[in-house]
Amino acid sequence: MEMLELLMRILVYGATLSGIYSLIAAGFTLIFGVSRIMNFSHGAFFVLGAYLGIAIINGVGLNPYLSTAISILMVGLLAAIVYKGIMSPVRTQEVMVIIVTLAFALILEQLILLIFGEHGISYPSMVKGVISIGGVPIPSMRLFVLAIALTALILLWILIGKTRLGREITAASQDVEAATLLGLDVDKLFLTTVFISSILAALGGALYAQVYAANPFLVLKSLIFAFAIVILGGLGSVKGSVISSFIVGYILTAVIVLYGARWSELTALLIIIAILILKPTGLFGVKEL
Amino acid sequence: MVSPDAFLYILGLTYLFIVIAVSWDVMVGYTGQVNLGHIVFVGIGAYTTALLQTPSRLQRLIPGMLLETTQVPIYASILCGGVAAAMFGLIIGVITLRLKGWYFALVTAVLPLVFVETTVIWKDVFGGEEGFPIGLKGALASSTLGKYYVAFAFMLASVAAMYAIVNSKVGLKFKAVREDPYLAESVGINTVKIKVLAFMVSSFFAGLAGALIVHYRGTVSPSLYDVPLMLLVILAAVIGGLGTIFGPMVGGLIVYLAKHWWLKGAVAALTSTGLPINDDIILYAVLIAMAVLLPEGIWMRARKIIRGTRIS
Repeated sequence: MEMLELLMRILVYGATLSGIYSLIAAGFTLIFGVSRIMNFSHGAFFVLGAYLGIAIINGVGLNPYLSTAISILMVGLLAAIVYKGIMSPVRTQEVMVIIVTLAFALILEQLILLIFGEHGISYPSMVKGVISIGGVPIPSMRLFVLAIALTALILLWILIGKTRLGREITAASQDVEAATLLGLDVDKLFLTTVFISSILAALGGALYAQVYAANPFLVLKSLIFAFAIVILGGLGSVKGSVISSFIVGYILTAVIVLYGARWSELTALLIIIAILILKPTGLFGVKEL
Repeated sequence: MVSPDAFLYILGLTYLFIVIAVSWDVMVGYTGQVNLGHIVFVGIGAYTTALLQTPSRLQRLIPGMLLETTQVPIYASILCGGVAAAMFGLIIGVITLRLKGWYFALVTAVLPLVFVETTVIWKDVFGGEEGFPIGLKGALASSTLGKYYVAFAFMLASVAAMYAIVNSKVGLKFKAVREDPYLAESVGINTVKIKVLAFMVSSFFAGLAGALIVHYRGTVSPSLYDVPLMLLVILAAVIGGLGTIFGPMVGGLIVYLAKHWWLKGAVAALTSTGLPINDDIILYAVLIAMAVLLPEGIWMRARKIIRGTRIS
C-alpha cells in the first residue's frame, strides 16, 4: 500500500476510533470524578447501545436514526435504575461498588450471549458512499461517525461548562459536603451524571457497531480500554480522558493498519501499563485516590 | 442423582478452589489491595507443574535443555508451581508498588488477558485453548477417594497456614496497611514491603492450588487463568465475607458447589420456560443481592447471630 494511503487511513480511522473511545471514556471519568463510583458496568452500557439499537431497527422497523436515539435513552434509563438500585446503596464501599457493577455487567453479557449469540452484529449503515480525500478513498461512514462523536463531546463540554446543571455537577465533584451544605441534591446529581454518561457510552457503542461490529465480549473489553484510557488521562479529568482516548486510539489504529488486528490490543495495553509504571498518576492526574 | 464418585470429585475440586479464595482474601480482605488478576498465579502454578511433568513441551520452551526421562516427583513439581507463582507475585508486586487504588486494580485486571494470550501465542509449548494432558503418572492418587483426601489435607494445611499468618504480627501489619496506609507509614511500617509480602503469600498458595488442580484433573488449560474463574473467586470471598479466612471457605463451598452441581437442576427447569437464563446469571444476581443486603458476608452475619451482639 502506498505511504500516503497508509497515513491517510491511520489519520482518519484513528480519529474515528478515538472519537468513539472518548465518548465512553469521558463518561466513565465523569462518573468517577463526580461520585467516586468506579462503574464497571459502563462497558455493558456501551455494548447495549449497539444491541438495543439493532434490536429496535430489526424488531420494530424504525429508521436507524430514531432507533439509535431511542436505544441510547433506554440505556440511560437502565443506568439510572442501576444507580438507584445497586450503586447508590453501596456507594461508600469502593470494593463493593466494583464487585456489584462488575456482576451486573456480566449478567448483561450473559444475557446478550443467550439472546443474540456470540457472533458479532453490526449496524446497518446510516451513511453510504466513499469520499476521496487527497486521492485516498475513505468511507463516508467513518467521517460521519467522527462528526457525531465530536458533536457529542462539544455538547458535553457546553453542558458542563456553561449550564447551571454543569456547574452543580462540578461543585459536587469538588466537594460533596460543601455542595450538600449549599443545598444541592447530591444524590440526584450523581444520578444525572450516570444518566448522561451512560447515554454517551451507548452512543459510542452504536457508532462502534457501525464501523466495526458489536459482540458480547466487548462488555469487558470496552470496559478495560475505557478504564485504561481514563487512568492514563488521570482519573476525574474529562479533558485528560479525551486526550488519552486519542493517544490510545491512534496507537491501536496504527498497529492494526501496520501489523494487523491481532497484536493491537495487547500492544496498547502493554504500552498503557508501561506509562502507568513511569507516571503512576496518569498524564493529567487530578484526583486524589 | 449424581454418583458418589462424581460428587467426591467435585468436592475435592471445591477444596482446592477454597484455597484460592482464601489466598485472595489475604490480599484483599486483610491487606486491602484489590487484586483483580489473582487468577494469574493459579495459572502459573498450574502451567509450571504441567510443563515439568511433560518434558517434551518444556524442551520446546528451553531448547537444548538436557532432561532425564525420569518423572519429576509430583510433590516437588507442585512445590515448584507454588514457588514460581510466588516469584511472579514478587515481580508483579514490585512493578505495581507505585500504583495505588484504582491504578493497581487496572494493571492487575489486565494480567489475565496477557497470560491467556501467551498460551495461545506459544501454542506448541502451552497447548493453546485446549491445554494439554499431563498423563496418568502425574495423578495425585489412583482413585477418586485418594485424590479427595489429598485435596482435603492440602486445604486444611493451607488454610491453617494462612490463618496463622494473618493472625501474627505480620498479619497486624497487613491490616494496618488496609485500614490507613498513610498512618501505617507514619508509625514505621514499610507499606511497600508489606504489600509485596502479601502478594507473595497469596500467590504462593494460589500457585500451589493451581498445581494441585492440574494433578487432580490430569490436564491443564487456560481456563485456569481466566476471568470467569476470577469472578467465582470474588463471588466466594464476598459472599462468605472478606477479611475473615473462614468466610471465603464458606463462600467457596457454596459458590463452587452451586455452580458445578446444585444449579444444574434449577437452570434446566428455568430454561425450559424459555427465559434467557443460565447458572452464571443466577450466581451474579445472588452476588449483587448479597453485596447490597449483606455486605459483611455470611460468615460475619452468622457470627453476630451466634454471639447475639449487634455491631453496626
